[in-house]
Order: sequence, then structure tokens, then C-alpha cells
Amino acid sequence: MRLSELELGKEAVVVHIGGNGFLKRRLREMGLVKGEKLKVEHIAPLGDPIEVVIKGTRISLRKSEADLVEVEQL
Amino acid sequence: MKERIVIAFVGNPNVGKTALINAISGAQLKVGNWPGVTVEKKEAFFTHRGVEFRLVDLPGIYSLSPYTLEERISQEFLLEERPDAVVNVLDSTNLERNLYLTTQLADLEIPTVVVLNMWDEFQSKGYQLDLKMLERVLGVPCVPTAATKGKGVDEVLDAVLEVVEKSRVPRKVRFKRIIEEELSKIEKRLKEAGCPYPIRWSAVKLLEGDGFFSEKLFSKIKLDVSFVEEAVERIEAHYGDDVETVLAEQRYGYINGLLKEVFKRPIQHKMELTDIIDKVLLNRVLGLPVFFVMVYLMFKVTFDGSAPFIDWMDGFINGFLGKWISYLLYQAHLPGWLRSLVVGGIFQGVGLVLSFIPLMLILYIFMALLEESGYMARAAFLMDRVMHAVGLHGKSFIPLVIGFGCNVPAILATRTLENERDRKLTALLVPFMSCGARLPIYALFTGIFFVRHRAEVVFLMYLLGMLVSLIVGLVLRRTVFSGEAPPFIMELPPYRLPTLKMIWNSAWFRTKAFIRKAGTIITLAMVILWLFLNIPFGAPVEKSLLGRFSRGISFVFVPAGFGHDWRTVAALIPGTAAKEIVVGALGQLYGGASSSYSSEEINPGSFREDLKEQVVSFFGAFKEAFRNIFMSWKSSVFSGEEEELGEVAKSIAHSFTPLQAFCYMVFCLLWMPCISTLGIIYQEFGWSMVGMSLAITTIVPWVVSSLIYNVGRLLGY
Ligand SMILES: Nc1nc2c(ncn2[C@@H]2O[C@H](COP(=O)(O)OP(=O)(O)OP(=O)(O)O)[C@@H](O)[C@H]2O)c(=O)[nH]1
Ligand SMILES: [Mg+2]
Repeated sequence: MRLSELELGKEAVVVHIGGNGFLKRRLREMGLVKGEKLKVEHIAPLGDPIEVVIKGTRISLRKSEADLVEVEQL
Repeated sequence: MKERIVIAFVGNPNVGKTALINAISGAQLKVGNWPGVTVEKKEAFFTHRGVEFRLVDLPGIYSLSPYTLEERISQEFLLEERPDAVVNVLDSTNLERNLYLTTQLADLEIPTVVVLNMWDEFQSKGYQLDLKMLERVLGVPCVPTAATKGKGVDEVLDAVLEVVEKSRVPRKVRFKRIIEEELSKIEKRLKEAGCPYPIRWSAVKLLEGDGFFSEKLFSKIKLDVSFVEEAVERIEAHYGDDVETVLAEQRYGYINGLLKEVFKRPIQHKMELTDIIDKVLLNRVLGLPVFFVMVYLMFKVTFDGSAPFIDWMDGFINGFLGKWISYLLYQAHLPGWLRSLVVGGIFQGVGLVLSFIPLMLILYIFMALLEESGYMARAAFLMDRVMHAVGLHGKSFIPLVIGFGCNVPAILATRTLENERDRKLTALLVPFMSCGARLPIYALFTGIFFVRHRAEVVFLMYLLGMLVSLIVGLVLRRTVFSGEAPPFIMELPPYRLPTLKMIWNSAWFRTKAFIRKAGTIITLAMVILWLFLNIPFGAPVEKSLLGRFSRGISFVFVPAGFGHDWRTVAALIPGTAAKEIVVGALGQLYGGASSSYSSEEINPGSFREDLKEQVVSFFGAFKEAFRNIFMSWKSSVFSGEEEELGEVAKSIAHSFTPLQAFCYMVFCLLWMPCISTLGIIYQEFGWSMVGMSLAITTIVPWVVSSLIYNVGRLLGY
């Protein structure tokens, strides 16, 4: 499933990161890499963006960007 | 040993690089708890054990790729200026991601010290690290520090001296064999071609396809790159993914392996304070209301808390200092024009501006709290959807909020935006953010016309500024700056409790700048203004140079609500130098008659009584401020008893209706950025943006004020 579909409070493992150069690179530099465990910690009041926690770091990204991350729910 | 050592501080955003430099050198570079505080290269100097250090603070970066301005600045500096040493600052609570950059830095072959900052947080989390082993694997000294507490600072410098002396460079990552084979082929070619940059670094960069670097490289050496392309093809075919991803994954693989050996986190992990606070502040229902209530309270406290002090300052400067200075001047038998210049020109204007020091101080204390606590990035998170709707970026919200303090750093802060178009657009909107310098204008007018609703009216100004910026943003986005919205990927730092000293330093630093401005540019503007108002000397002000000019153009401002009185227009003109000058100028223009002290009989014996009265009323101001903030939720219930207005205020009260005063405030809010802001726009973007900014900030305020004025009149105000 996609990261954007992951519900609030649920955990998952990163399977694949799609998207183009810059986006992919930025996600990777922030620690979103294959095999990493993450959790959806918050969803902004207006439904977008979301905050995920990965390795104790809090990262916010938009749903459209979370769309590019393939995850497997735990 | 060298006499002078250049050290570059490199690391991820928000790990405390600037805090460390400040701790080492005693400098006061800007620190803040969100990623992207330092956006340009800054320097500090320091001497340790007889060696002079030049400390270079580079902007925070996640990697040494060339995709953002910060990354390019850092890469450029490290490659072209080759510092004697790199201090690679890591957030020790987040080693995995921080070490990614460390593995890239290693390829540069510069003597390096790895600093494990935030060690206080590391320890309180109960993490454990085998330092000796980490040093052995990385090949360079690793020093734990807590920069904000000044811990480990000397050790950093000693380690730097050691690595420079022994040329200790970090160990490089070895990739999988397939890649190493390709790399060594490229390295060989590069060596033959006489590559002026570190060979390993250059080879990796070519393989990754770093356009910024290869352009630079090929301007220096000639090389046929087809063999690199072939290597890339072979690797991608083997791994089924692009080279960059493959290399990154192998770097992370190496880091994971390393951390497994040296790093342990406790099995039981406790709920962090940040998570608890965010349960409220980022709550889906409460998040936005809490945000607006906080901003409102901030302005309320700023206003109600500072009002008694402003009154006191005003009394002190005009009633006390002014009185005695004019007395002295009178005693010294100075010519009339000189007395008029000093008292009516400089003193009226600068004094009025200076009386707002308490206001600025409180505002800047709040700004510092906002910046240091970690809420800034949250505000961007909460507002991203709104900003996105008008085609902007949540991160644009940070420069805009900084703009409430001062527009100049706000323009600089746009550098955190990855995309040039977004940067420009945000920079054009920043001037609509009501900076601290505009507060005196509101303070003056609300004190006269909206005594019972001061905080509300001022809050309205801020909201209006934001609303206008959103609308203008939307229009620009649809026309000049159309295109895709860039991604919003941002780190949310943990909340940190700033120390009182940090808050005070930051607030006082900015207030000092305000005072300095009053002593220099504003005084100068006052003198010039006085000249234009008094040439030809002796003529009534309406007939003066400025008077005639302003009367000539004031018809333009009639629809906007204040063209009826040429003095309002005249005050705007010097206001282009700095916004506070509008207030100073109004002081001169409306206070003309009150330089009456000069002819007044003053009893010199009453000086001590006067002084005593000032001291007593100063303490009285504390009591009143306290009462204003804590006991009155309805704004200014106590001061509502129609206070006695000063000369200037009385004269202003006669010349405006409340609606006109409101329109004038709106105009001042939206009108032309001050010279310093224009200067920084020029520095960052060039003349065309200055022109654009000027055009927007002349048309928009006129349209908005006119709209409000005419609608207000229809409604019967
Ligand atoms: N607890 C703790 N906080 C720290 C320490 N060092 C820095 N901070 C805080 O961390 C935040 C970031 O510090 P900065 O010095 O601005 O970080 P930076 O690396 O310069 O960040 P950028 O300029 O954005 O790249 C600030 O709020 C500091 O007060 C530390 O050792 N311990
Ligand atoms: Mg910094």
C-alpha cells in the first residue's frame, strides 16, 4: 500500500520509493530508505500534510509526496 | 603549525552548528530551533593556544548534492577554499541520518573532527555509544558536546589542532565490488587528466551525475565522459535502480552496520515531552484554534504590557528631557532656528520613535520564544494546506512569520525554500508582514482612536497583512509565477526549552539595532525632514518645500481616506527610509506648536522634583503593565478612562476620523518596504525584483485602503 493511505497511528515498513530525482533524493536523505520502519504520528487539521516518525525523527510531507512511497503495514 | 586555521562547520540543519560556533567564539550568530536558520555563510574569529581560528558557519545540509542553494554554497566552499579542517557536527540523537553526510564528507579528504552535539539530550534518552570504537571506524576524533551549555567546547578545538597537525582525514566508505571496480576506472582516468579536486570525490560525483560539480570540473580539465555513462548503465542494469539510489543504500548499509556495533538504545522507551505537547498543538481539532489564540495573545500581551511603559517613556522623553533640554538651549542663547531644529526637529521625532522601545522589546522576546521553542516548523506544518491552496509552500510561512519581527531577515530566510520561483514569490509577500517598525504607527493611532480595542485593531492589521499577502500570492502565482508546487518535506525538531539568557540575548540584540537605527538613520531623516519643512525659513509649514509638494500630490490619496490632510502624505515620504520615521515625522508635523517650551518660563529649581516624579511613575508603569496583562481580559479596561492626550496626539485627533485613521494604518502597513528591505531584495534577487516589489507595494495599499475607506463610508463610519 501507499504511505498516503496509511492510517493515523499505524506503523509500516518502507518497501520502495518512487518519484523523480529531487523528491526521491530528499526523502532518502531524511532517512526514508528501504526496510525502514515508520509510523504516521499526526495528520494536519486540514487533512494535509502528514507527519511520520522514522528512527525517532519527525518528518512532515504532503499526501501527494507520501503517494510515492510504497509501504507494507505491520 | 599554521598561524591561522580555517574551520568549516558542516552538518545537517538544526544540529547546533551555529550554537557551537557561538559557544567557542562568543559570537552572537543567529540560532533557532528549526531547520534552516543559517542560510548564508557566516564567520567568527577566535584564538586558542596561540592559534587564530577562522570559524565558517555553513548552512545546514542533508547531503553534498547540489540541488538547493545551501548545498551549493557548502559544496563550493569546501571544494574551492579547502578549509584546513572540517568540524562535522552531528545531532547525536539521530546518528543514522547525520552520518550519511559524514560518509560523503570523507571523500573530500579534509582533516575532520566529528562532533556529537546535543549530548545532553542523548544522555537523557538513555542512549549509549562506544566512542572509542566509533573513532576507530571513522578514523577521526569524535567529541561529545552540548553547545548551548558550553560543554565539550575546548575539546573540539584541541581535536581540531590535532587533526590538522597530523592531517587525519576520515576513512572512506567502500562500496560493493561492482561499484568499486567502476570507480577505480574512473579515478584512473581522472588522475591522468590532472583532476584538481579530490579524486575519489570527483569519481563518485561523476558516477552520481552531479551536474553542478561536473560543470565545474570540465571547465578545468578536458575529459570524454562516455566511459562514465557506460559505467552508469552497467551499474543500473545490475541493480535495477538508479546509481544515486544504489550508492545511497550502500552508504546507509555501511552506517547501519557501524551503528549496530557501537550504538545502543534502551529497550524501554519513554514517552517524550515533544509527543505530549504535540498531542495538543498538532491536534486535528485544536491545532488551528490554538495557533490563532497564541498569536492573538502574543500581540495582546505585547500591547497591553508595553502601553504603560510607552506612556512613561513618552513622558520622560518629551515632558522631562525635552523640557530641560529646551531650557538649557534657551539659557545658552542659541539662535531660534537651531533650537527649533533640535527640539522641534530631532527631539520630537526621534523621541517619539524611542518611546516605543518597550513595545519592541516585548515583541522581540516573543519572537525569540517562537524561534527557540520549535513551534515555528509546526506553524508551517499547520498552515501548509492553506498556503498550498494559494500555490505557496508551508515553509514559506516561516519567512512570513519572521517578517513580523523584521522584513530583512525574513527575505534572507526565504533561502530555505528549495525552489527559486517560490523564493521570489515569498520575498514579494514578505513586505506585507507587519514588522516591528510598523507597530509604533499602530500604537500611536490606536492610542488615539481605538483606545478600547487596541489589541484587537492591531491584530486585525496583522491578519489583514496576511490576507493581502495570500491574495497577492494567489494572483502572482496565477500570472507571473505559474508552475508546479514544490514538495513539502521538512523535519519537525523536538521542542526545546530556551534559557532565559538565550531569549534575552536575542531580544536585546534586536532592540539594540532598533535603538541604533533611531540614533543614526532616523535622526538623519528627521534633520532632513526638518530642513524641507523649514525652507524657506520662517514660512508656515504649508508653504515649505515639503508642504507644497505634499499638498500637490495629496489629492491622489483622497480616495484612500487621508488625502484631506497633506501632513499625512508628507510623513509617508521620509517613511521610506524606515517605517518608524512615519511616527517621528508625524511628531514633527503635528507637534509644531509644542516646541513652546523654548519660550516658556521654567523654574530651574524644580529639576529634582521632576526627576523624582519620573522615577515614581516608572515603577507605577510596572504595576499597570501587570494589571493590564493579567487582570483585564477585555482590552485596556483600566486605561479606558480617556487618558490625557499629548500635544501631538491631540492635534492628530482633530485631523482624522477613526475610519480615516484606520485607512492610514492600513496604508502604512502595506506600503513600500523600507530601504533596508529593498536593499536585501536587491542583494538576493537583483533590480527586477526590486522594481516588482515597488510596483506591488504602491498599487496594493492604495487599492486596499480605498476599498476599506469607501466601504466604511457606505456603512456609515
Ligand atoms: N539541548 C541542546 N540544544 C541545543 C544544543 N545545541 C544547539 N541546541 C539548540 O538546537 C537548536 C538549533 O541550533 P542552531 O545552532 O541554530 O543549529 P544549526 O545547526 O546552526 O541550524 P541551521 O542553521 O538551521 O542549519 C537551537 O534551538 C539550539 O538552542 C545542545 O547541545 N543541546
Ligand atoms: Mg545555524
